[in-house]
Amino acid sequence: MDLRMLGSNLGLEEEEFVELVELFITTAKNDINNLNEAFLKRDAEKVAESAHSLKGSSGNLGFTELSKISNIAEEKAGEEDLELIDELIESMRKHIAEIEACLGK
Amino acid sequence: MIEDKRLLILVVDDNPLNLKLLETTLSKDGYQVVSADNGPDARKIAVDEKPDLILLDIKMPKEDGFKVIKKLKESSATSTIPVIFLTGVSDIDTKLFGFELGAVDYITKPFHPREVLARASLHLKLSIATNSLIASQAQKLRQITEAQTSMLTTPAMQPQAKFGVYFLALNEAGGDFYDVLPISEDIFGYFVGDFSGHDIKTSYLTLSVKALLKQNSALVYQAHESMKMINDVLVEILPEGKYLTACYARLNRKTNQMTIINAGHPPAIFVPSDGKAVTIEMKGDILGIFKEIYFGQFNIEVKSGDRFYFYSDGLIESFQEKVTWPIGSDELIAACEDVRYVPVQDAPEKIANMLLKNNSKMKDDIVILGIEV
Repeated sequence: MDLRMLGSNLGLEEEEFVELVELFITTAKNDINNLNEAFLKRDAEKVAESAHSLKGSSGNLGFTELSKISNIAEEKAGEEDLELIDELIESMRKHIAEIEACLGK
Repeated sequence: MIEDKRLLILVVDDNPLNLKLLETTLSKDGYQVVSADNGPDARKIAVDEKPDLILLDIKMPKEDGFKVIKKLKESSATSTIPVIFLTGVSDIDTKLFGFELGAVDYITKPFHPREVLARASLHLKLSIATNSLIASQAQKLRQITEAQTSMLTTPAMQPQAKFGVYFLALNEAGGDFYDVLPISEDIFGYFVGDFSGHDIKTSYLTLSVKALLKQNSALVYQAHESMKMINDVLVEILPEGKYLTACYARLNRKTNQMTIINAGHPPAIFVPSDGKAVTIEMKGDILGIFKEIYFGQFNIEVKSGDRFYFYSDGLIESFQEKVTWPIGSDELIAACEDVRYVPVQDAPEKIANMLLKNNSKMKDDIVILGIEV
């Protein structure tokens, strides 16, 4: 993952982009926690809401894979189908960890 | 005006990341940015800071974007600020609903910052162009020195508009006037206005407003938008203390939709083809005084044979000395009922004869305009 490239796609300097990604990680973790909690409570509506939020913010920064996964979660939850959600959550956490690792470099 | 300051954009989104991304992108491009993460704060900032443009997220907890724009459009202080919606939803009904509430555009999430910049600058340009159009129209009208005589339209000249009119001007410089505007084959605009005071300036202003009506009644403008543009120009050109009250209707004979705008004018009378005549009471500001203005607006689905009457206050104030408004309009409603089966071309004159028969000395001009669907 090339943060400089992702930033310049958005017309941003690297440091501006890094600042945004740091903020993104905080909000994304928050979204994923909410999503997980809602999943444990079997609250499909709340799952969809948190997934929707994550889909938008990750998509905006160019993290398309993460945005796609969130989209699947949102759609599944919309159909009240929570079967795959825990796997999707796992995958979301992995993506976030990767992004964090890039920032650390 | 606009040139003197940096353009200010208000961004509203409950997601802090989106907010930050928009802020960064817009301020990099030279805009001043203020942000809010909820509806009530956004509305307060809109009133206090008067941004030139608002980017508004639809999906927010408690007060969503639709509620916010509704309140913004209802308040005269914020009603003219262009609003672009940000949305993750792309279904057409949601979008049309937003346009209906007064949004100028949509940006679908995930958005690309460059698209946001392109749309923001497009709508700022449009908004600036509208403002300078108003300024240049005002300029042109100021330059008219000689008032050419303009013919008043008659039912014979526009039979498709299906109207009748009674017009009595006390003197050359009367304050009352009317106009009927062909907007498209099936859409017509009907206007009755009354300037305060009777002096030579008034008759020149009458011509100005008729010119403005022609310029600003194009198909793309809704009735309240036409009136708003006319108000903006009048605010610039009217001498102090002078104002205009008016009633403007836009009738689409194809979709049977009628919109009536009232700006401080006596209420229109509605005579349904199958029911009793009623007045359409609406509150609305007079034209030419306030830069930010609120109009009464009435939308109705009409059917063939329905009639509407617009008139000036001379009618109900002069046919009887010291008549109070409610009594005056009761007699007027009765008269409108009486002429139900008279062809609409002749109805206004009949109404005038009924109301004025006992009154020899006229104190004001009189206009009655009758419209049939």
